[in-house]
Amino acid sequence: MHRTDFLAAAAANRRNTNRLILLLLLIGAILGYLLGWSLELYTAAAMQPHGATVWYLSPWGVRGALLLMGFGMFWTVLVFLVGDRIVLGLVGAREVGREELPQLHNVVEEMAIAAGIPKPRIYLLDTPALNALATGLDTRRSAIGVTRGLLDKLDRDELQGVIGHEMGHIVNLDMRYATAVGILVGLIALVADFAFRALYLRGVGRRFGRGRSGGGGAVIALFIVLIFAALAPVFAKLVQMAVSRQREFLADATSVRLTRNPHGLISALEKLAVSTEPFRGANRATQHMFIVNPLRNFSEQAGRLFATHPPISARVRRLMNLNGD
Amino acid sequence: MNLTMLVALGVIAATSAGMIVLYNRLIRLRNQVKNAWRQIDVQLKRRHDLIPNLVEVVKDYMSYEQETLCQVIAARNRAVAVEGQDFEAAMVAEQGLSGALGRLFALMENYPDLKANNNVTDLMEELSSTENRIAFARQFYNDSVMAKNNAIESFPSNMIANLFSFRHGRYFEVDTAARETPRVDLR
Repeated sequence: MHRTDFLAAAAANRRNTNRLILLLLLIGAILGYLLGWSLELYTAAAMQPHGATVWYLSPWGVRGALLLMGFGMFWTVLVFLVGDRIVLGLVGAREVGREELPQLHNVVEEMAIAAGIPKPRIYLLDTPALNALATGLDTRRSAIGVTRGLLDKLDRDELQGVIGHEMGHIVNLDMRYATAVGILVGLIALVADFAFRALYLRGVGRRFGRGRSGGGGAVIALFIVLIFAALAPVFAKLVQMAVSRQREFLADATSVRLTRNPHGLISALEKLAVSTEPFRGANRATQHMFIVNPLRNFSEQAGRLFATHPPISARVRRLMNLNGD
Repeated sequence: MNLTMLVALGVIAATSAGMIVLYNRLIRLRNQVKNAWRQIDVQLKRRHDLIPNLVEVVKDYMSYEQETLCQVIAARNRAVAVEGQDFEAAMVAEQGLSGALGRLFALMENYPDLKANNNVTDLMEELSSTENRIAFARQFYNDSVMAKNNAIESFPSNMIANLFSFRHGRYFEVDTAARETPRVDLR
């Protein structure tokens, strides 16, 4: 990878994420279209058994696609309005005041000034594990959580790098991306599952009930829908994880933009990589929100397509690239 | 209404919508620069307030460094005097204060007793955080100025900027005097 400056790196990351989200919406729309289309073919085939043709723009399909996209957007807005403080409760964090941890408060405030946003609320997770997370759907109502182990093991510069990374998640609106993507993936999985069951059962029922019926078009439609319904959730999950990894790289780049000091974050990531402290309280629902994945052995598994985080070695390599020398 | 008129109306509507968007963006950037500048002031004020406390605590330990302490106080008072006044005067005074503080911090390294004092370590954390905040506030100010200047110079927003005479922002620059490393007497 050739050397890049951090502004260009951030721009490239943002482009990648937008493409991935468009891809996700497309998968949802195709799924909706196929569902509507097959439904239409079934009703058409029932009326005129051999006349149905496959290659035309199905009005029911368009309706299905629009319905699924509209529903996805509605659900997203709903979660934006109500769902922002649940996460910190899930991981067992408590808010701490300035008197208790003045240095942490100072570091967070410094990074907030560098980012030009109001200071986030600060939460502490009472565990010896080394980790940190950020939440908040907009920059005015955000929060940063760090573990006790992180405060004990990191020096000021390293802490600043980590807080800069979390501040990066906040200013890049990653919680919004993650929430939107999560909802779309869930929706696609749900609808695909429903379609799979409904069509499969119906197909089996037909085969055993009235023998061969319906047109050739209906059979092909059934086949296509079945395949797509089986594959869509897998693709959606892949895209979600790819988005998550892109956002981690972007937050690293933003951290360096704020601190102008890649060495703090690099040495913090190296400490996080070798730490073996177990983290109770993290689970699959919240794993993607931390600076390093609290559940997995990132050195071995993180290169895989379903990982929420890129391998730490790759993140350190990119940070070295950001360095000017 | 014929087709030509419709097209003309469409073009006019699109152009004015674009102009509104560009103008609002310039306004947003201008306000961001102003706000970033005030943020520097807030942090400088914080530094001015902390310095008397620091001098009060360290003066018993550092009785041989009267001259440096007096310089810090004098520089602080000069900076307070020009608070909220013009750009140039404030910049010069603050750079003087930064230099004096840097010399004091360097000298404090020679007094191990000081580092054992909890009051001093707390104050040092507050002061180094304030130094960082000032640096980050300037960094954000300069980033904001760059964004504004980019918008003023690049096409097509430069036309709107000319029309409503938006002016370039001025970068916060550190002159060579303030960059000088504080001298430390090694005797």
